[in-house]
Amino acid sequence: MTTEGLAHTMEAGLSVAARRSGRRLRRRVALLTLPSWTMLAALFAVPIGVGVYLSTRSDKIGAFVPGRGVGLDNYRRDVFDSALVGALVTTLIITFIGLAIQLPVGIGLAMLLHRNLRGTRLFRTALLLPMLLTPVAVGLMWRFMLDADLGVINWLLDTMGLSRIGWLGEKWAARVAIALVDSWQSIPFVMLMTLAALAALPEAPLEAARVDGATSWRAFRHVTLPMLRPVLFVTLMIRVVDSLKLFDIIFILTRGAPGRATETVGLLTYNTGFNFLETGRAAALGVATAIVTLPIYVMWLRAQRRTA
Amino acid sequence: MSRANGSRAGRVAAYVLLVLAMLAALFPLFWTFSTSIKNRIASFSIPPRFFNFTPTLKNYRKLFDTDAFAQVVWNTVFITVTSTIISVAVGTLAAYALARHRRFPGRRPFEATLVLVRALPGVVLIVPIYQLATRLGVYDNQWALILIYATINLPFAVWLMTGFIEQIPAEVEESARTDGANGLKVFAFVVFPLASPGIVATSIFVALLAWNEFLIPVLLAGESSKTLPVYISGFVSARTLDWGPMAAASALAIIPIAVFTALIQRRLVSGLSSGAVKE
Repeated sequence: MTTEGLAHTMEAGLSVAARRSGRRLRRRVALLTLPSWTMLAALFAVPIGVGVYLSTRSDKIGAFVPGRGVGLDNYRRDVFDSALVGALVTTLIITFIGLAIQLPVGIGLAMLLHRNLRGTRLFRTALLLPMLLTPVAVGLMWRFMLDADLGVINWLLDTMGLSRIGWLGEKWAARVAIALVDSWQSIPFVMLMTLAALAALPEAPLEAARVDGATSWRAFRHVTLPMLRPVLFVTLMIRVVDSLKLFDIIFILTRGAPGRATETVGLLTYNTGFNFLETGRAAALGVATAIVTLPIYVMWLRAQRRTA
Repeated sequence: MSRANGSRAGRVAAYVLLVLAMLAALFPLFWTFSTSIKNRIASFSIPPRFFNFTPTLKNYRKLFDTDAFAQVVWNTVFITVTSTIISVAVGTLAAYALARHRRFPGRRPFEATLVLVRALPGVVLIVPIYQLATRLGVYDNQWALILIYATINLPFAVWLMTGFIEQIPAEVEESARTDGANGLKVFAFVVFPLASPGIVATSIFVALLAWNEFLIPVLLAGESSKTLPVYISGFVSARTLDWGPMAAASALAIIPIAVFTALIQRRLVSGLSSGAVKE
């Protein structure tokens, strides 16, 4: 009897053993995730736990007196403190301005690329590049370009007969500048997501709209856009998460200045922990940030489960 | 798609918009390179000099004159490569489980944890990680950076590799198994070779993230493990903003990215949208 034949006989005859070996197989499969779990536990879960612990203490970096447990004092002082509320509002403002730029431009560019005109691949590669570049380097170059006196952007405004803008020195201009630079880097993401969704759309409804004599704007507005909605929702969610994570560009462009006009939650946490060296308060701000992110995280998880 | 091309006027308008967008996307890059080969006076001149200047390599020479910069470049390369190898190796094992087995103990919590790592802002971690690193004596230690990078980039490695392994037909493995190969052999001689283009693409993508990372090294890297983004950010706090060398350092951070992007162009697209939707 061949080994294969033997195997078949055994499988047929020993179904109990087979089921048990199925369970054993699943357990062996789970072992493949063990290295990942180890790293995630040691370098992700442990820091989060330590963060929660530190948030209940009064530690300061370089203080002569060791910190002590203060219960929820840091939260009482910080979470309802005007600084955090202000930072949250600033974060939302910058996020909102950014989305108002990124979504229409990203979707528009995707529609243009989707027409598959000659040279589309070249355009796509060029338009994609900004999202890959080192954010710190990007921030610095834009800082140079946005410079009020020597920057090429104000020079351009000048030559076009428009008035110069004190980009990084004025409250609203600085917020818009940050949203612009962030958009420059993240429009490609919106574009790519939309492009992938457009490629997967069925042709028939659009065809029907055309036969019925719909203009291309009306076809887009009433046929394409509704069909894109699920993907746009996921894109929007990820962009909101990434706006909350936005740090490098603001750190380089303004560090929260002028005043606190561009101090987002991330910058506030960083400044509290590493400029004012207040470890306990900064840890509490970190925990508060995590809590703010939580609802979007749950939405993301649900969206992922739906598509799985 | 020829039908969608529409009228002649529409086509011209589309090209005009695309060219404008391309200019907006590429101008900052052009400006970085051009500033990096200008002398100080030319870089500050108004009206700006786009092409009418004498190029110089002075700025690059200035960077490499110091031993510190060579050390920074080496640190960045070493940390990027090592953390990428760890991330992709560990991630590929998990991806194999996710791609081939619908059910196994801990699958759902594992997927949920990966999304959490991707979604949670880094600032949540910086305070405890800084405290842990200083207390454990690994502040300014390259291996501390490597392990942290490998962990925060793990979701991307797992998601991308899961997609690539799913594309390998399971029958190939089964036939190898009936030929008498055990699990390890199947993985080494069947799955691995077939997945290698995917492994390359995933590695390049994860390396890109590691290369660009800033928040972790700005906190944990002192002089001996400083990386390029941290070095570049140092130009901001310098009192006299010296745009030439700064642009040169930025250009050096960007060049490898452009090269590798060209190498994996097509696969990159799936990488960039990974974690967003499952294919």
